[in-house]
Amino acid sequence: MAPRRNGVGVQAEDTRICVVMVGLPARGKSYIAQKAQRYLKWLSIPAATFNVGNYRRNNAPHPSADFFDTNNAEGERKRRAAAEAAVKDMMKWFKSGGVVGILDATNSTKERREWVLDRIKGEGVEVIFVESKCDDEELIMANIRDVKTTSPDYVGQDPEQAALDFRNRIRNYEKVYKSINADGDEDHLTYLKIMNVGKQVIINRIQDYLQSRIVYYLMNLHIRTRSVWLSRHGESMLNLEGRIGGDADLSHRGEEYASKLPELVLESVGSDRPLTVWTSTLKRTIATARHLPKHYNQLQWKALDELDAGVCDGMTYQEIADLYPEDFQARDADKYNYRYRGGESYRDVVIRLEPIIMELERSEDILIISHQAVIRCIYAYFMQKTQEESPWVPVPLHTLMKLTPRAYGTEVQTYKANIKAVSTWRGKGSTAKHEDPKPEGGV
Amino acid sequence: MAPAQLYSTMSGRLFHSGRIAIVMVGLPARGKTHICVSMARYLSWLGVKTRIFHLGDYRRATVGQGGHVPQDYFYPNASPSSVMLRQKILKKCREDIYAWLNHENGQVAIYDAVNPTATGRRALAKEFAKHDVQTLFIESFVDDQEILKENARNVKISSPDFHGMDPDEAAQRYLKRIETKIPVFETMQEEELNYVRMINAGQAFFYNNVSFNYLSHRIVFYLTNLHVKFRTTFFVRAGTATEEDYKADAPLCEEGWAYAHTMTETLLRHREQERQAAIEQGGSDVPLRPLTIWTSTRMRTIQTAEPLREMGYKVRHRSQMSQINPGVCEKLSERAIRSLYPEEVEKHELDPYHHRYPRAESYHDLAVRLEPIILELEREQNDLLIIAHESVLRVLYSYLMHCSTMEIPKLKFPRDEIIEIIPAAYQNEAKRIHIPGLDPKMIPGSPEDIRIRVPDHSAQLPPIPGMSSPMEMEAASPEPVLTRPPEKIVNTAKEMVSDKVTDED
Repeated sequence: MAPRRNGVGVQAEDTRICVVMVGLPARGKSYIAQKAQRYLKWLSIPAATFNVGNYRRNNAPHPSADFFDTNNAEGERKRRAAAEAAVKDMMKWFKSGGVVGILDATNSTKERREWVLDRIKGEGVEVIFVESKCDDEELIMANIRDVKTTSPDYVGQDPEQAALDFRNRIRNYEKVYKSINADGDEDHLTYLKIMNVGKQVIINRIQDYLQSRIVYYLMNLHIRTRSVWLSRHGESMLNLEGRIGGDADLSHRGEEYASKLPELVLESVGSDRPLTVWTSTLKRTIATARHLPKHYNQLQWKALDELDAGVCDGMTYQEIADLYPEDFQARDADKYNYRYRGGESYRDVVIRLEPIIMELERSEDILIISHQAVIRCIYAYFMQKTQEESPWVPVPLHTLMKLTPRAYGTEVQTYKANIKAVSTWRGKGSTAKHEDPKPEGGV
Repeated sequence: MAPAQLYSTMSGRLFHSGRIAIVMVGLPARGKTHICVSMARYLSWLGVKTRIFHLGDYRRATVGQGGHVPQDYFYPNASPSSVMLRQKILKKCREDIYAWLNHENGQVAIYDAVNPTATGRRALAKEFAKHDVQTLFIESFVDDQEILKENARNVKISSPDFHGMDPDEAAQRYLKRIETKIPVFETMQEEELNYVRMINAGQAFFYNNVSFNYLSHRIVFYLTNLHVKFRTTFFVRAGTATEEDYKADAPLCEEGWAYAHTMTETLLRHREQERQAAIEQGGSDVPLRPLTIWTSTRMRTIQTAEPLREMGYKVRHRSQMSQINPGVCEKLSERAIRSLYPEEVEKHELDPYHHRYPRAESYHDLAVRLEPIILELEREQNDLLIIAHESVLRVLYSYLMHCSTMEIPKLKFPRDEIIEIIPAAYQNEAKRIHIPGLDPKMIPGSPEDIRIRVPDHSAQLPPIPGMSSPMEMEAASPEPVLTRPPEKIVNTAKEMVSDKVTDED
């Protein structure tokens, strides 16, 4: 399965990468794995996580700390079997078209890493080790309390007792733990080592672009709690006519929303700490942002412009259905991939938003004022919506959304301005009219 | 409100990054200048005002033509007169850096020097902080003997001192000489400083505290992707389509298909010829490097790659590579644009690179959209053929060949040429390969994206780095030439660093 080449420069196979997590328990490995998987899937790169702990649980549902003692032969055997099972499933998954597989386990010894490398490289998959190393005892205990005591291993147990047991479990790992290349004899590995939450980072032997993208993304993650605020522009003149795209001014009610937005934002932020405002380059988002406080910095991004509807720009759905009936059908059948004639698809929008996501991961306190399709794509990133779902998410006008990423998932709060606006939502397979979203729909 | 998207403010600096000094650290022959030049090329292309300050230039200027610094110049226990000289040279260089940052709106000053001691580096960071400049150190650390010898061979042998010597021996001597000249070098370990240690030309990286702002992140990502492998990139235009309209996204017309086939044949023949030529010059009979093809998602580029795809070459479609969006002015005549949007025309004439017509993209927008492609381009290990619209070729070419932004909207890529970009020390080189037998009508091809002529400032401007155009086809070409041999394009940007090639620091 290694890449095939022939003399005339034709190359066949594509890259497949296995990301092997390394580190003691409670170092945020699963958090990193989960985010990486979400990011890759959002970019349409098939990615999956294989958590060795879950395989082990099938065999030993509520183990005590002793189980993890390396001198416990029975425990050792079971843990090894779990790793085997996880790797086996991952290989099967690669054969069915997987691109980035994440092996989530401690992999804390040189022997174990060597075993994983042999096992996976033998099948033509590139291996990159990602280690999270942390010596800050407070951070570790905080992580244990937050995350680990709610783990399935401790269902129905006293949290303090559970935290203590978990700390002991870690001690068993600490006995044998060896940081990657700590002895200088693992220099042949491709790895990323993040120390004390990003204060220091080492990367070694990164081979190709996809690897460097993953590494760059992981280097940009920070774990401070922050929020991202999303709003569409106020109702526009074209919204009133049910037309898509264009570069129209705000309607009277849209202007009202722009005036009310500062109040809404203040209510949501809870203090006058400034946000950075990102708008598109179109008139309606700039106008919507213009009453925000002077001490907020404002930036225009071309990448935040609305999905380009190509030849259909400025039409109503009815006109599109009449003029391009086949396109209208095709778009409903696969809205994520449908590209307007001479325009863009949702997939295209996601690709152009990637630098924005990278910036969002790095930054704090951003308010984005953009457009329906763009907000849907950003929302899909944070809320892990599938490609089938994301283009249909209702994002009503005159509503501010606050997204707060947490360890496992993102919290959403919405603030309605209570200013009337037309609906710009249209259900799948429905008539070519805007309608009110079905009540079960997301936001 | 910031006028353009990459955060530029009225001062011309990026929005949420302050002024940055990138301070290079490393002994000679560690590839520092290569890193400086690549970084400066990338940052300027992104629209960041960047300048390199080579301390060696100041040293030479101070000791005069043909003069030498004292033997103990780099010694930790240098004589008072050497220390004085050192400080004088440093002071002048630093003053120039501050003047440029403060009075010329510079944003990133790259300070190229050895900076061998921790004490010196700490003092430097403190000094810059006093002037409200953030410091990022980039150390190029090399202990791989092969890389060291290679660097010494490539760069230093042309010095007259080593004239007529066996290259390997000259390289050894040169490295020895560095050791005696600069006996003390402390690798970076200063925990409180922001630094990147690049080990053995990118084999490994160590980052300390670098998460301090947007620009340093871009720089770090760029360095991570900076490639050292030898590979070439080819640029060609897409074939002509049945309809030129931007929104129509029409398929190739008959001549367009014929072009796709002729272009394919020419390219493959050229690659094979180059291989044969290399063998004749004593190269080994190695197979060609794999060739990957990137097109945009526009129909005509996809179809132009079709003959290659049928032969089994891998073709990737990249939506970021779509042509520049002409906006509402696409079909309007110049007169109509002038009467409908007089203010826009005025702005456009002032700054044709940054200005965007209603709902159109500017070249700067296009560059920002293409940035991920640039990074991937740096990473790519295969040879690459890029089939794209002229506007996209302009922006990609300008990155690789270090053209100024003023020049970008005017670069020309006639359809009867394949442009080949070949990496060389410090700056790339380019060749044009003639595609014979095309209908002369299709050669100049692409209608101007937005039909306002860019005022020609070339009379007032100094010669622009890069080159004027791959080919000026304005004058009605004489009889269609049957075949032309490949021609080299002169990259004048190379001259900017030519004196560094023989520089001993």
